[in-house]
Amino acid sequence: MKDLNYYLDKFGVTLALMQSLVSEGLGCGGSWCDLYFEDSSFADLLLRDSKVSAGGRHTDYGCGIRVLNGDKTGYAYCESTDAKALSSAARAAAGIAAGPAAGFPRDTRVLQVPDRYPMRRDWRGCDMAGFVPLLEDIEKRIRSKESSVFKVVAMLSWQVSDILMFNSLGEVSFDTRPMGSITVSVVFRRGDLTENKTASRSFRCGVEMLGPELVEELSSMAVDGIDARFEARRPKGGKMKVVMGAGASGILLHEAMGHAFEADFNRKGQSIFADKMGRKVCRPGINIIDDGTIDGNRGACNFDDEGVPGQKTYMVTDGILTSYLHDRISATHYGVAPTGNGRRESFRYNPIPRMRATYMDSGGDGTLEDLLKLAGDGIYVDQFANGEVKIGEGDFTFFVKSGYLIEGGRLTMPVKDINIIGNGPKALADIEAVAGDLKIDDGTWTCGKEQSAYVSCGIPSVLVNNLTVGGGE
Amino acid sequence: MISETEKALVQDSIALALEKGAEHVRITFNRNTEDLIGTLNGEVDKITRCEDRSMSITLFVDGRYGAFSTNKLDKASLGAFIADAIATVRMFAPDPLRRLPDTALTCKDAKTGDELGLCDPAHEGMTPARRRETALRACIFPGTSGDPRYTMISEEGEYSDSAFDSYMADSDGLSCCHSETSFDYWVEITIEDPEGMKYSGSWWDSSTRLEGFDPASCARKAFAQAIAQIGAQPAPGGKYSMVVSSEVASRLVSPLLSSMSGYSIQQGNSFLTGKLGEKVFGEGLTIMDLPHIKGESGSRLFDSEGLATREAPLIEGGVVKEYFLSTYTAGKLGMEPTVDNASRPRVMPWPRPGMDREDLMRLCGDGILVTEFNGGNFNPATGDFSYGIAGTLFHDGKAVRPVDGMLITGNFVSLWNNFVAAADDARRCMSKLIPTLAFSNVDFSG
Repeated sequence: MKDLNYYLDKFGVTLALMQSLVSEGLGCGGSWCDLYFEDSSFADLLLRDSKVSAGGRHTDYGCGIRVLNGDKTGYAYCESTDAKALSSAARAAAGIAAGPAAGFPRDTRVLQVPDRYPMRRDWRGCDMAGFVPLLEDIEKRIRSKESSVFKVVAMLSWQVSDILMFNSLGEVSFDTRPMGSITVSVVFRRGDLTENKTASRSFRCGVEMLGPELVEELSSMAVDGIDARFEARRPKGGKMKVVMGAGASGILLHEAMGHAFEADFNRKGQSIFADKMGRKVCRPGINIIDDGTIDGNRGACNFDDEGVPGQKTYMVTDGILTSYLHDRISATHYGVAPTGNGRRESFRYNPIPRMRATYMDSGGDGTLEDLLKLAGDGIYVDQFANGEVKIGEGDFTFFVKSGYLIEGGRLTMPVKDINIIGNGPKALADIEAVAGDLKIDDGTWTCGKEQSAYVSCGIPSVLVNNLTVGGGE
Repeated sequence: MISETEKALVQDSIALALEKGAEHVRITFNRNTEDLIGTLNGEVDKITRCEDRSMSITLFVDGRYGAFSTNKLDKASLGAFIADAIATVRMFAPDPLRRLPDTALTCKDAKTGDELGLCDPAHEGMTPARRRETALRACIFPGTSGDPRYTMISEEGEYSDSAFDSYMADSDGLSCCHSETSFDYWVEITIEDPEGMKYSGSWWDSSTRLEGFDPASCARKAFAQAIAQIGAQPAPGGKYSMVVSSEVASRLVSPLLSSMSGYSIQQGNSFLTGKLGEKVFGEGLTIMDLPHIKGESGSRLFDSEGLATREAPLIEGGVVKEYFLSTYTAGKLGMEPTVDNASRPRVMPWPRPGMDREDLMRLCGDGILVTEFNGGNFNPATGDFSYGIAGTLFHDGKAVRPVDGMLITGNFVSLWNNFVAAADDARRCMSKLIPTLAFSNVDFSG
């Protein structure tokens, strides 16, 4: 990781200037002020119609200044880091308070944490022409594996953000955050029938993430199961047992539980879990975790966007709700330490509680096959498009791209394009079995709660009773 | 409005890109300011102030193409960025279909940016104090009514106003301005019943002009929506007539519009591929694009590459009349460009004008009124869909009880062939003018 001077030079600021801005931010009172400097570079490269003939680069630069007055937030940002623009933003954010100036310590200290995503090769220094053969190779491999491929679109994108943070405790933190992603979309045609599949991989990693293994993984994911997709039917709808396949089914945790555990919704009394802290929410032995400490993971954070070191947070421990996901506002409200979940899309947004990598620990109920036998009849789901939750009611949905009917404890007819709906607390309580095969999914998961945030999810194979599956009669 | 200095910055940047080797250039300069007041339970909870300026640069270099953007707009940074961008484009494969739009098709009328009357001078009179007053006046917390069925848990509101200006120019002489002000309010109310079950409702209003903007009525509507859900349970699964409230009906229209995009058509990833000019949907479905309605959000004179927008039928009597074709996708498909997307699409009333939601419920007799969608998706290649819903079971046109935790599942071709009626109650504050809709024979799972 680079040193403090790199970041100070990058943004053209000094510790004295940052202290002066905090002083301006607290000029009308308030309990907290922080500064968030960001210099982000983005690029994308697109293969379409068998040619890499489009792409681009993008930059986004600026500073967000936040003043807290208890639970209340004043926020402003500027796209220049000259002293005049920064001062104007600080004064705008100060408008959340209306009292005498608040004092703050004048000592500064630099926070140090382990780097969970060191870039061996920085994307910013790389010639984009070097990535063209990789995209071409992905298409070649996909076409070699499957003859019904009609179109392939492959996109490589990357982002590297230099971040500098300073707060009214005098804490300085800095971070360089890489994110590399490849998404492949394939359209297949067999006679009059058309189907599509998407595969993606994303890591907080430098250029070193690219290689033949990734090409093979993506091209295999893009075509695997396409025969079943063409054969798939809509199942009869209704309430049934659902076996969630290991990995991407973690979207269930993200939607059904993770959002409802975010402390802002609980602080405001809006979440269905607002009065359940310390209470049993599912069977003993189940742990549900939100983790910013997985090396190279899409949800990894050295620091969150409030300068809190990245952490691993047990939301549910042995079936008991043990922690919400906190930013500084909610942590102060509840009188607990922040959990490192204060995240933001960019300097244009104030931080709010957000997930990182959300998953359930492996359980002790055997294998996927054991769960299928236990289910008897129901549905097995393994690929997802998106999900959504109603925080107050706890009702969640997720859209299943593919899966199978379970009949007599075995996978039978392929199914596709169905929505599954349930209620968070009820689904948690209805977890009947958890296999020992936890898998974190490394797809391009992006959470859309008010702002975009990079996340990931994971789960072992899990059997849930009584979810509603969409389908015909 | 865009200043002459900002226009000069764009023109200088075009000249610089040409000088450094670009054959053609298009630049869009955007400027936006927004002030927001968030409220929680009748108190100011958040204030934010945003000011953005950015430049999008599309380059055509040696028969190659690239799209770039930056918000570092000082002369030195911009010069280095453009030089680097041109070098980057040279790494891509040539594509002869990438070009600026035909000048005969581009917009010539967007000279000031206010030709459509989307700018309200009243925006300049908004002060921090007036914004606070507007936001706080819209609050109703604690909303006590003495009704033992519920307690209001929270009222969360957001008032914002913004001014957006855009200037697009290209090396073929395109020069177009667009300016728009916006006043917006959104509120969500959460209530709790004596059993501890929570229900939420939300409402919003939006307008380009302060006059007619009505934040004060939003909270009552959100409150009523939350109360209407108390005790909701799924209805038995089966086939029902479905009435979809205008506030959420775009969920069933947007997939049709996205499936008419040239990109999806060219990639074969649309269930409307090869259907131009064919009758695909029921004869009652007519969608017009009305991009030139003065004072209404969504109206625009030009699209993202400067093509002039025009009033046009998108679907008429169930027949697909248009694909959305940029210069590039039109070239790929061997067709004429249209515009990149619908601007202000309107589902026309059917079978007669003047109907409202209650008329459609009476028309259907028995069924489910959908007032909320919860998740779901559709497969663009096949048109298959599945969405979570909540709403009201009705009998003889009258509400019986609230329902939730249900799913509707089907295919958009069959759904729109079971189209029964479109009311005449689209909300003007929405950029898509979608009224309450009614369908027969919809599969519900509960």
